Amino acid sequence: MNRHAMLTCITLIILLSSTGCADIIEPNQLAFVIGSAIDHDENGIEVSHQIVIPSKISGNVKGGSSSDSENFVVISATGKDIFEANMKIQRRMSRRLMENHRMLIAISEEYFEKHDISKLFDKLNRDPANNLSNISIMIKGGRAKDFLMNDHPLEHLSTIAAQKEMDFNGMKNFSSRQLVIDYLSEGSRPLVPVFNIKESKVNNKETKQIAFLFGFAILDKNLKVKGIMDDVEGSEVAWMAGKETFQGVTIPWKDGNGTLSFKFTQLKRQIYSNKGDDKNRIILSVKAQAYLIENTTSLDMFEVDNIIEVQKYLNEQIQKELQETVDKVQEWGPDVFGIGEHFHRKYPYWWKSKKGNWEENFKEIDVKVKPNIRIRSFGTGGERLK
Amino acid sequence: MKVTGYQLFWLISISSMIMFSYVPIKLAAEQSHQDCWISMLIGGTIMMGVTWIMLKVCMQNKDKTLVNFLKDILGTVLGKICVTFYFILWFVQMSIIARGLVEFQNLVLLHETPLTFILLFMFFLVVYVMFKGGITAISRCSEVIGPFFVLMLYVQLFLSPQEVEVNRILPIYADSGWLHILKGTLYSFNYMVDPSIILMLFFFAENKRTASRGILLGTAIAMLWGVITTLVIVFITGPNISAEMVIPVYSLTKFVSILDFIQNIDAFYITFWVFGAFIKLSVCMFILSYGLSEWTGLKNWKLIACITTLCLLAFVIYTTYDIRIGYEYKNIIFIGFLYPLAYIIIPLLLWMIGSIRNHRKTSSIN
Repeated sequence: MNRHAMLTCITLIILLSSTGCADIIEPNQLAFVIGSAIDHDENGIEVSHQIVIPSKISGNVKGGSSSDSENFVVISATGKDIFEANMKIQRRMSRRLMENHRMLIAISEEYFEKHDISKLFDKLNRDPANNLSNISIMIKGGRAKDFLMNDHPLEHLSTIAAQKEMDFNGMKNFSSRQLVIDYLSEGSRPLVPVFNIKESKVNNKETKQIAFLFGFAILDKNLKVKGIMDDVEGSEVAWMAGKETFQGVTIPWKDGNGTLSFKFTQLKRQIYSNKGDDKNRIILSVKAQAYLIENTTSLDMFEVDNIIEVQKYLNEQIQKELQETVDKVQEWGPDVFGIGEHFHRKYPYWWKSKKGNWEENFKEIDVKVKPNIRIRSFGTGGERLK
Repeated sequence: MKVTGYQLFWLISISSMIMFSYVPIKLAAEQSHQDCWISMLIGGTIMMGVTWIMLKVCMQNKDKTLVNFLKDILGTVLGKICVTFYFILWFVQMSIIARGLVEFQNLVLLHETPLTFILLFMFFLVVYVMFKGGITAISRCSEVIGPFFVLMLYVQLFLSPQEVEVNRILPIYADSGWLHILKGTLYSFNYMVDPSIILMLFFFAENKRTASRGILLGTAIAMLWGVITTLVIVFITGPNISAEMVIPVYSLTKFVSILDFIQNIDAFYITFWVFGAFIKLSVCMFILSYGLSEWTGLKNWKLIACITTLCLLAFVIYTTYDIRIGYEYKNIIFIGFLYPLAYIIIPLLLWMIGSIRNHRKTSSIN
């Protein structure tokens, strides 16, 4: 009995004195990084972290930055790589940086131009503090650091605002992991959301610098920006790239009298090869369900003939618009739709001869867009109220 | 010391899944990219076959452990030499798992805690369980840990359905070709399931029939898990990333995001993995020290277990200094000699000799 008690005591002493105390970190010793920014610097890289101040957040239930002081800090440092910069930041911090909960990485346009982005990926894959599931965005014009510094009228943090903005606008699959997958696969090129910072008047008293979605950057094989699509065309590209955006569309009716507006849900896309020997002909089929939201024409949507006609017309219009966008992307070169990946999967041996110079070969592919949009509902009204 | 078939099932499935979860997926993915699941399937089938042959051998020598029946069949000298290969194998396996354990704990959870401490605690447990009843205690533990461990590993595969894109495994075969697929198998199958331990454990089985059923089922469960895991990893990350992830099963837990709320569940995963590692280490330690005691003729196998543990501790600490020894998963001596010998050649040889003997016996009776 005595021996047992002794043993228990000794074990407990060793247990408590070794593991527990060497590594104990309380939550109040951690600095939660919610967003990070990567900027160009003469020495290499400038890393900025947006860190929440928990005491400010918990008291402020209403949200927004109505109080005088901000509820976050942005700390930045330069270095040859991310880790060096991180260490410099850490030295100036009273808490340990905790990157596990990061939501977003913002990279400035300048950094895209002057550096090889793929070098950033290694840290994300190697260091277990990262999980590659954060969003990556590009900041057009200004510095990515400024994006973090700005506050947002609705949210605590600009990163949370950007993340929510993308989420509610149906932009999925823009995580760092997707970026890496697109970069590593030979048959598709990455598409990166672009934000820019604009001065906007939020109320009578003040104007604020707020970041909004500007469009989508189309990157080539070396992750250099080939062009930036605006948000309308960009979300069409994202739809056709299988990255699911939802958008509404407003089309003028045939007789030029009034317009029809639709909201799309359940966006899907598929790539088919045309039947026959010519592999260069591709059919890009997009699917969606449309809800008629606004109707300023004289059509009575309760009439079944009208529904069918509107549906047909809608498909024609969408076809025209998407086809133009596809042609534009093809002119630029990078295959953001993953058509090469379709070839890779369908005709792997044929693909082997094409993949070497895919940027050029992609331009010669004959891509036909084939929309298949079905009107799901015309809402709760038949004819326009006159 | 007796083990039931039910306990053997959990023992085998835990120790096989522990091996599976560590390096083989990376080794296969590196060679055959999106076809690595074929490599794994072939490797798993080979290992199932090996298990079956080993079971046959065990059934022929029901009342002896590996050390004794090798001596019987091949003669004292040759038998003793052959057994040393298994000793080396188990020792290597233990050192892989022990090193993986500390590396992981240090990397993810306990950055500051010295490696020796983590090892000491684990080895203390291992030695403790030896003194508390040897294989009986271990199998009781595995009976308790097993359901949680196996369930956890299976469930975590299905926690990120929104990330899955099945198309990523296409094109099948065209990119890699048989050569690379088989090369992937060759590098990885040795680290997949773990059939060799049954050569020792079968002797302790209470009912040989239920025991062999349990062993086969346990291996099958682990193999199925391995193939599904490989598929899920390719579905989620595509072939190029999975080839670069050293411990893909761990990385998989990092991708889990349930309703954008439950994330970073890797801490749970590691905890369960440590439980499994404990079972694996103690099983290996038990059979190694029991085998050594029969091999040397010393009766006190518990003392041998202590000494072996010390050796293992020293070896693992040494490998952290001499990195070359620590990371030789593709070592040609292991892959070309030790593994095939222990898994395929010796069991086949034993089975053939055993069958011929049995045949003679029956014919001489007639």
